[in-house]
Amino acid sequence: MLSQNQSNKKLLPNLGQYAGLLLFLLFLIFPLYWMLVTSFKDNSVLFKIPPEWVPSQPTITHYVKLLSDNIFLVYYKNSLVVSASTTLITLLFAMFAGYGFSRFHFKFKNFLMFSILSTQMLPVVSLLIALYAMYKSYGLLNTQFGLILALTTASLPFSIWMIKVFFDGIPVALEEAAKIDGCSRFGILFRIIFPLSKPGIFSVGIYTFILSWDDLLYSLTLINKDHLRTLNPGISVRYMGEVSYDWANIMTVCLTATVPIVILFLFFQKYMVAGLTAGAVKG
Amino acid sequence: MREKGLGISEMAKDRLFLLLLIVPAFAVLLFTIGIPIVKSIYMSFFDVTLLRMKVQPWNDFANYAGIFKDGEFFNALRVTLTYVLCIVSIQFVLGLFLALLLNSNIRFKKLFRTLILIPWIVPTIVSALLWMWLFQPQYGLVNYVLQELNLINAPKNWLTNLDLALPAVIVTALWRQLPFMSIMLLAGMQGISEDMYEAARIDGANRTQTLLHITLPMLKNNIKTVTLISIIENFKMFPLFWIMTGGGPLDKTTTLAIYSYKTAFVQLDLGKGAAIGALWLIIMILISSLYNKLFSIGEEDESGRGKRRVKSKSVKQKIAA
Repeated sequence: MLSQNQSNKKLLPNLGQYAGLLLFLLFLIFPLYWMLVTSFKDNSVLFKIPPEWVPSQPTITHYVKLLSDNIFLVYYKNSLVVSASTTLITLLFAMFAGYGFSRFHFKFKNFLMFSILSTQMLPVVSLLIALYAMYKSYGLLNTQFGLILALTTASLPFSIWMIKVFFDGIPVALEEAAKIDGCSRFGILFRIIFPLSKPGIFSVGIYTFILSWDDLLYSLTLINKDHLRTLNPGISVRYMGEVSYDWANIMTVCLTATVPIVILFLFFQKYMVAGLTAGAVKG
Repeated sequence: MREKGLGISEMAKDRLFLLLLIVPAFAVLLFTIGIPIVKSIYMSFFDVTLLRMKVQPWNDFANYAGIFKDGEFFNALRVTLTYVLCIVSIQFVLGLFLALLLNSNIRFKKLFRTLILIPWIVPTIVSALLWMWLFQPQYGLVNYVLQELNLINAPKNWLTNLDLALPAVIVTALWRQLPFMSIMLLAGMQGISEDMYEAARIDGANRTQTLLHITLPMLKNNIKTVTLISIIENFKMFPLFWIMTGGGPLDKTTTLAIYSYKTAFVQLDLGKGAAIGALWLIIMILISSLYNKLFSIGEEDESGRGKRRVKSKSVKQKIAA
């Protein structure tokens, strides 16, 4: 009875809430709709004022043009290779280190954890300047391995932290039981801990993938051969600085760079939100 | 000692295992962060250019002297601080507002939560290009809508106007970062027990009082973490500025990230770029320690909150009884 009473009382403020939410949605979602619509517009329609909110004659010429551009497909493939490898390596290292930090007590543990996290504050350009010089002398410049290594360390600190929080939530008793049953240390890790923390591993993996897919600075600096470039520096080098932008074409590129990551997100959404928020709440 | 017969004690095995666990992560961190940061500070005292990297003559702090002589560093610092302050505070206020909306009893909560998160996964470079199209002077949607609403009477050149370029970049950053901020705050809000609000309602507290005396204090740790993440990320922000304005017009959007990148990789003066980075590092350390101080001021509240929590527990027990 009480709740019914409340809901009646709240009907009016609720309208305000929906209106507020609608404004936020308009700001956050409409630009994405505009990107989609623009990519299907012919250049003659593009510059109409007032604009066509829904394209009267949608065209796929921009997509055809883009997909027949070989170099673009190369960028795309490079991005996938680099982001996927970065994710796998980060996961492996973060899982090991996170487990170490979660289960063992040792000297300087808090200090180490803190210094790992504080690397996030370092100016990236400082790192890049020295990294560039180092890579040059080791022959790692213009290699995908070099880029993957640099991107791994960019996402590793937060990944270790997030996954540690997940491991903290798994009762130690399980491991003790396995130990009594004669399970080795690595056996415990691979057969008990990792399967139990699948949500955490998923969320850290997606976080890393998104972060490396988003990178511009590292890939712009460490790679300057066109056939090794990833999508973001590829876009910035090829489409920027032109006298007049071909907006429909650019929006098509943007859309194709966004779609894979959005699909990934919608698929694993529930893990990601849980993982990120668990990390932040406990931190 | 018990396992003397086995050769290695369990304890030593544990040590070895721990070492195997954390060494790989530390090795890569050392190679791509630890060594570079030391090397970069070292390089800041030498005359190093991208074209001549083998010989590195000591140049009597000329890199630092050069930075302090031309006013660009202070301009870049001012732009960076203005940007960070604006984006973090606007983002926090709007993010809190959005989180409160999503935390109230509305329908389709889950759908809304998924929808608003999407901009956050859009690559930064894509958001930059998308908003450049929206801000386009002749055919951009922003000018069209603002003119239709009679908010402006002539189209604006958003990204090339001295006063509008930075706000335009801030709007773009807000679009991409607001989702993360509000979802994090929302997660904190969902952790606050319903009893607290119930108790407040019984005491006759209105919405603002509930927000100020329950929600915000309970969210303190959460707020500290998300705003710190946001400050750090935005201090480093590179792609938005690089793509949208390139630091222009007239250095009005040249942040420390743009200034140091241009110095090192466009003017090819690595030594000076490293020196800018070193100064930036010092500023970052100052800001983060200041930030920790700021949040520890209200620490004595802690005991009061503890009491309140106990109270709500006893209320729960009463209800259960």
